Amino acid sequence: MGVILKLMLCTALLPSLATAAVVRSADEETGLVKWHFSAGALELELVQRLPDQTRGFFLARGFSGDVADEIATSCVFQTIVRNRVEAGAGEAVAIDLGQWRRVHDGNQGGIRLKEAWIATWPEDRVSQPARLAFRWATFPTVQEFLPGDYNWGMTAYGLPPGAVFDLNVVWRQGGQMQDDWIRGIECPADVDSLK
Amino acid sequence: MSFTQRVRVLCWSLVCLAAVAHADQTLTPVPGRPLAPDFALQDTEGEQHRLTDYRGRPVLINFWATWCPPCREEIPSMNRAWKKIAAAGIVMLAINVGEDEDTIFVFTADYPADFPVLLDRDGEIIGQWPVKGLPTTYIVDPEGRIAYRAIGGREWDDEQLLDALRALQK
Repeated sequence: MGVILKLMLCTALLPSLATAAVVRSADEETGLVKWHFSAGALELELVQRLPDQTRGFFLARGFSGDVADEIATSCVFQTIVRNRVEAGAGEAVAIDLGQWRRVHDGNQGGIRLKEAWIATWPEDRVSQPARLAFRWATFPTVQEFLPGDYNWGMTAYGLPPGAVFDLNVVWRQGGQMQDDWIRGIECPADVDSLK
Repeated sequence: MSFTQRVRVLCWSLVCLAAVAHADQTLTPVPGRPLAPDFALQDTEGEQHRLTDYRGRPVLINFWATWCPPCREEIPSMNRAWKKIAAAGIVMLAINVGEDEDTIFVFTADYPADFPVLLDRDGEIIGQWPVKGLPTTYIVDPEGRIAYRAIGGREWDDEQLLDALRALQK
């Protein structure tokens, strides 16, 4: 095979097999940290949500204190996913949060999905309006992103405040399954640790 | 957490969201233009709106909530767009998901909305549409079919977007 042909093949495969780039940054004033992950057409951002911030959000939506606290202290991140290819061109990106894995202290686990949360709440413990707010404020478990599409919402990792974990991000682009890691993600600490 | 810290945290969250979530000023054509699910909902003024009553006119349908940062960001541009398109007979309906009139009343004091704001209190209507996140906007053509969708916020007074709506009238 000629060198030029090999180069052309490599170039064609680049968008779907690109190595992930991860950038960690922190806000100087709040101390909140975010992780920006990009690979192929996928762009993912995880932004720490302080337990107090999440607690306040769900209390204002009608949750009881104990349920709001349970959610708030389960390592919640504002999560933004985008297909960074310009609208009208390129391949779709699909994610299923059920396939993502986190590793903490050598133990592997999954994301705490919205369906799992809702299933634990008896009808009389969480009102319908509160459930509705939870449903739309949390990230969809399964979603396909056409070029230019994005979505945002909370994801919860079921770990205590301050825990550090690695996240295996899994996605499908152009029919091909791919995965890569974000290392050393820090669950947001509780109020006392805020600057 | 002090009030100042809360404001800083909120601002940081909004900046992060805006930086990544800023979408292109484009609409995604919906293949096959499926028929839009009909609905009948009251707006905050108590007026009933049925989607099929707007046949013959393009309809912009926006699903939103007051707590959703990109929704808040796009409401002012929707209001500016409304001023440009209302006289031309184009319809704009903002369907609030899961909140009550009082919450919306307080919200619109800061974010004026002159277009109809409909109330989907129990989330029944949004459940009938293929919405995955807020905000999501659909453009329904004069035949009642979903012509375009926009996931995420837009600057709705952008002429490029408005031209797509106007083109449906022809």
